[in-house]
Order: sequence, then C-alpha cells, then structure tokens
Amino acid sequence: MSVWLFFRLRRAKVGYGSDVMTKPIQNVIIVGGGTAGWLSACLLAAKQPDLAITLIEAPDIPTIGVGEGTWPTMRETLATIGIAESEFLRECDASFKQGSRFDGWVDGSPADSYLHPFTPPPVGNMQGLLDGWKADCPDQCFAAAMSAQHAICARDLAPRQRAMPDYAGALNYGYHLDAGKFARLLAKHATQRLGVTHVLDEVVSIEPEADGGIAALSLKGGTLLAGDFFIDCSGQAAILIGGHCKAEWIDRSDVSFNDSALAVQVPVAPDSQVASQTIATAHRAGWIWDIALPNRRGVGCVYSARFLSDDAANEILAGYLKKSVPDCDPEKLTPRKLTFRTGHRTQFWRGNCLAIGLSAGFIEPLEASAIVLIELSLRALTENFPASRDTLQIHAARFNDLFRYRWDRIVDFLKLHYVLSRREEPYWAAQRRPETIPVRLAEQITLWHEQPPSTWDFPQIDEIFSAASQQYVLYGMGFAPPRGLHARPGTVARLNEIHSKARSLAAALPTNRAYFSAAAAQHQQQMNQEEMVRT
Amino acid sequence: MSKHQVLNSKDHLDLRVHTEPGGKFGDAVMACLTMPIEFRQVQAHFPIVFRRDVESGRFDVLALFGFENGENLFLENDRWEARYRPLALAIQPFLIGRPAATGSDAQVHVDMDHPRISASGEGTRLFDDDGKPAPYLEAIAGRVGDLDYGYRQAPHFIAALERYNLLEPFTVEVPLDDGSRQSLVGFHTIDEGRLAALDGAALGALNADGHLLPIFMVLASMSHFGDMAARKNARISNG
Repeated sequence: MSVWLFFRLRRAKVGYGSDVMTKPIQNVIIVGGGTAGWLSACLLAAKQPDLAITLIEAPDIPTIGVGEGTWPTMRETLATIGIAESEFLRECDASFKQGSRFDGWVDGSPADSYLHPFTPPPVGNMQGLLDGWKADCPDQCFAAAMSAQHAICARDLAPRQRAMPDYAGALNYGYHLDAGKFARLLAKHATQRLGVTHVLDEVVSIEPEADGGIAALSLKGGTLLAGDFFIDCSGQAAILIGGHCKAEWIDRSDVSFNDSALAVQVPVAPDSQVASQTIATAHRAGWIWDIALPNRRGVGCVYSARFLSDDAANEILAGYLKKSVPDCDPEKLTPRKLTFRTGHRTQFWRGNCLAIGLSAGFIEPLEASAIVLIELSLRALTENFPASRDTLQIHAARFNDLFRYRWDRIVDFLKLHYVLSRREEPYWAAQRRPETIPVRLAEQITLWHEQPPSTWDFPQIDEIFSAASQQYVLYGMGFAPPRGLHARPGTVARLNEIHSKARSLAAALPTNRAYFSAAAAQHQQQMNQEEMVRT
Repeated sequence: MSKHQVLNSKDHLDLRVHTEPGGKFGDAVMACLTMPIEFRQVQAHFPIVFRRDVESGRFDVLALFGFENGENLFLENDRWEARYRPLALAIQPFLIGRPAATGSDAQVHVDMDHPRISASGEGTRLFDDDGKPAPYLEAIAGRVGDLDYGYRQAPHFIAALERYNLLEPFTVEVPLDDGSRQSLVGFHTIDEGRLAALDGAALGALNADGHLLPIFMVLASMSHFGDMAARKNARISNG
C-alpha cells in the first residue's frame, strides 16, 4: 500500500514539475523613469538579484517631480538598496521630516495648529494616557504630551546626531527631498551598482499574449522588448495598466475634492533655519504645502477647481509666500500648474502587469502617501515574487485585495482631516456633508466618541495609517476624549518620561542647519584630501 | 594656558559640548586620575596603579588604559569599550573650581579650549532656552561633586598606604604575538607580601578608616593586564 502511494506521488510531482518550470519569470520590464520606476528597479534588483531588469524611459517626458515628502519607511528602503545616508542627503538636497504640522485646519484662528509627529505615543493603554494628559497637563497639546518630537520640531532640530550609525535616530523620521535629484541618484545606483539596464526610448505599441497579458513592447527606435513581467510606472498616462490591461479607474473625487495645485520653489538663505516637518496651512478651498530643504522651500497651493479659480489660488499662494517666506517676491515667480485625477484602479495587478505609483492611483498630496505606497507595493512584490507564471493569478488576487484595502484607508484618513474641521467656507462645509464621508470612517468616528482609535479599528500588520496617526489627528483637532476615563497606574510616569526625554533631546540634538553645514564641511574636507592625494 | 571660566547660564547659554567618546576629543590617553570612591567600577575594567610625582613626591592614583603615552586600548574607532568611564574623563571639559574664599562651595568650571567644546552647532547644549540646566548638565554637576569629594578623600588613602609602607615599584613585561615585548615601568602597586604581614591591629585600623576594601580592589584590578595585552595583540594583528 505504502509503496503504491509513494509511486503515485512521485509521478504526480514529475508531471507537475515539467508543466510548470518551463515558464519561469526572469525578465522584468519597468516602464517609466520617475521616483516609482527607479525605486522599483532598485528594490527589485536588491531583493531579487537573479532577475534581469530593464527600465525604459521616454527621453522627453518630464517627471512630475513634486513628491517631496517620504515616510520613515524610506530609511529601510535606502538601507536595503545600499545607499549611504550621508550620500543620499547630499545628492538629493534632502532634509529630515519628522511629521506634518497643520495650521488653520480647525477654525483658521492664529493659534490653530497641531502636529502629527512620526514618533508614536508611548506604548500602553490610550485611555489611561488620555486620562493622564487631561488630568496632569491639560494645557499641553496632545502631540506635546505624547511625544518628545513636538519639542524637537518646535526648535527646528534634527532627529539624529551625525555620529549615530546610518539611518538610526533619537526620534522617528523620514525625509524631504528634491524628487528630480532623487530619481537621478536612484538611476545611477541602479545602473552602476545593481546591474539594471536603462533604455532611453518610447513605447509605441504593446504586443499582447494569447491570454491577454503582455508579451513585448515595441519601441519607437524599432526594438521589440520582450519580457516576462511588466511594471507600469508611466504615471498618470498608465499606458500598460490602463491603456492595455484596461483596469478600471475608481473616481474618489466625491470624497476627496482637491484636483489642482500651483507649485513654486523658493531659494533660501544659507544660514536660515530648516523646518523639521511639512507645514500644511489650510485656506478657504484647500491647503498650502511648505517643504523645507537645505537650499530651497517647495511651496504649493492645493485646491479644488470646483471651489476656487486658478487666479484666486494664485493670490492665496502669493499671500502665503509674502507672509511666510522672508525676502520672497511672489511677482517674480511663475507657479507650475498641476492637475490630478483623484482615484485609483479597481485592480493594480492584472496578468503579468503591475501598476506602481501614479499609474495605480493618486489621492491628493496631504500626508505624503504617494511614495510610501510605492514602497509598500514593492515590499509586497519583492517578498512574494512569482517564480513562475503558475502563481501569477494567486499573487495578483492577493495584491489587489491588500491594496484595495490600503487605498480605502488612505481615502478615509485624509478625509478625517476635513471632517473634524469647524471652518465654514463652502468648501469646508461641503467636506462635512454626510454623503461625502465613507461609511467606515463615519462609523469609526461614532465609535471614537466612546473609545480611542486602537488596533481594533486598524487590525492589519502594516496598516498604512496606524491608530497612533489617527489619534494625533483626532486629538490634535480637538476631538473630545471619551468620558469616564480612568487613571491607569504608570501612565503619569510615562508622560513624565516624555517630558524629561524632550528636555534631554532638545539639548543633545543639533539644529537641522547645523547638521547639514557640518556634513557639508566634512564632505568638502574629504574632497580636498582626495584632491591632494591625486595631485 | 587653558581658558577656564565659571560655568553660568548667561555666558554659556548656547554652548554645546561633544559628549561622545573620541580620540579627537581628548580620550586617546594612556591613563587618567581615579580615586577610591570609584574603585568598585574602575577595578571591573582597568588596572589601578600609583605614580609618584617627581617634584612633589606625592602619589597619584591612575586608571590605566594603555602601555604607552597616547595609547588607549579601550577606545576602539571612537567607541568606548568598557561599561564605565572614570569620572576624571567623564566630566571633561568641566573642572572643579574653588573660589578664593575658603569654606564657600565648589563651582563647575569649563575649559573653553578643550576639544570637547563645540563650535559647529553639533553636540549637547548645557542649558534650556530659559537658562535651566539641561539633564546632561545636571548629571555632570552630580559627577563633578562626586569627583570633588573623591579628590579630597584620596590623600587619606595614600597616607595610610605610606604609613604601612605598602607601595612598591613594579614592572610589567608582556610578550606580544609579533615577538616584541611590551614593558611598563615607573608605576607603583600595593605590596601583597607586606599587606599579608600586617597584624590584626593594623588591619583593623585600615578597615575602620575604610581603606581595606579599596586596597583589595587595587590588587584585584591587576588581573586586567591580561585583557590589555590581548587588546594590544588584536591591534597589532589588525595593523
């Protein structure tokens, strides 16, 4: 009996194997050379070194280049790719981002400001912490009571000292960066150190497979580029996932109203302080981003064309620049107009094609979800890479489920920033109309009157916005903590620890400006030494 | 001449100090002063030895980090490879200041020429924006106080050792892996033979004054010469 069984198993295995292993996935073609394309190339090459990776980029299509805020996830991404932090900071004119500050979102009064820092509240029961906060330091804002990062951001300090190992910090941090320079650094790294092939050409047509997948791309230069797996990083054009695969687009502008932006870049004085967080200032029909790099500030007015004309947006932007950027003459600047479609695909992965970046979707730039979604998509792909065509459909279905969940959570979380506002302009009033609020979000807000946001509301391991993020926005905007809180032993001590940690760090951390100046001086010294050795 | 100033929040509000270990910050030293109040921690990592000052004839007590000038075998690529930093190193660039008037409290002084003084905007600030001492300075002030107390107690310990004639010169010869020999001369240690020969009354007196425990800690600390030789060999083989 047992012999027979063994024999049957062996036969089955042989038959199965010979069917499957004839179609391994070896050649990956990435279309598009922006942040999404080059991050895909680098991460895939670093984590799946046996793949042959080709990135094709149209020589004259400019990248969008305004995705300038990352999440703390970028540190692990860069370490995985193998780029030193000092090199990254220098080459991309990058600065440290420790969170986002929201000015004027609640009622627009001068004192209306709250911080969503990257360092979460202390571990422990949030009910007890809320009680400790209200009982012991009611005058402090929620973020200041819950995280030492508030004090550090208020003083324009860096989250780390230069002597610390790469990508380590005293506080959690991501980056602000020059997106164009970032793509160039990644391109150099991918082609020179990771063996990625770079093709400068334009896709003119797509050769389909019998089952509807993609067999090859024909290029303007005459080449036919065949591949086993295709990643669409072509941005809003979405030539593979939209143009060929016909993955449907779900419009989310019923929830998320913003569809336009006017962007400028303003040089700053070499000795000026560099802000530690993105500053998002609300205006009557949207908000303004303000991102500080060591050498310039990127400022942009985000708005909804339904509620605001371009001219009015321009005036709002000019008013902000005059008030907030020293020595800036808005008359001399020509803002760049961007429009974006708000929504995402129904499916991001179809057959042998995966959309990453703007081709997959976009919800306004608030909370900088664009780059982190690229990273999360690549984490899912590289850790679940189909070795053969037989598993393509299984991976595709799992990926689509997961990312549909994530896009929904992004839509919910961004909406939370508007729903809690008390501003009364038509745009803000419309944001609070019940028919524009997703059902799940409405339910959660009802729940949060009775209990603080917790992992019960956000049960996934890699939630895109954790319960901590929801708490910072909720209580930052003055949402009342549940009644009937009870003190928990130890919570007051934990809040005191935060206070003393803030004092220690405020003394031990350099200003962002001092950090970058010292790094630049050290780099200059090294260059001089190398120069002396050569001559 | 070093530039010593009385530390105060007015003149030093924005002063920053490099607090991490580093050769460029003055940690590349062969030894530093130590005293009986910290022997328990010091003897866990470093040999404790005595050196007679030629001019004054007085003995200093030292924690030893290396075999020759400028060599610190416990400083490896600017990492401090021990769980303790003797107070005399840990408080740099600060010093104990004694005002001219006797009886008044000791002050914390700062050596403005010390390499730990930062000019780059990096390093740790001593005061909050409102002039309150930062936690780092509070900790330093505590250590300076300990050090001050320890220095004032140390001469009693030395006097007791001299009273019983317990200090003897010693030499260390360590054969190294590359065939050379590392020697250490010019230091004193405690003479175990004479200590063993002391009678009960003498030992009782030493114990009553609190000197017996530090004596044995000094003796125990000598076992670290083996560790130091191993560290020296590791440096030689790493080039």
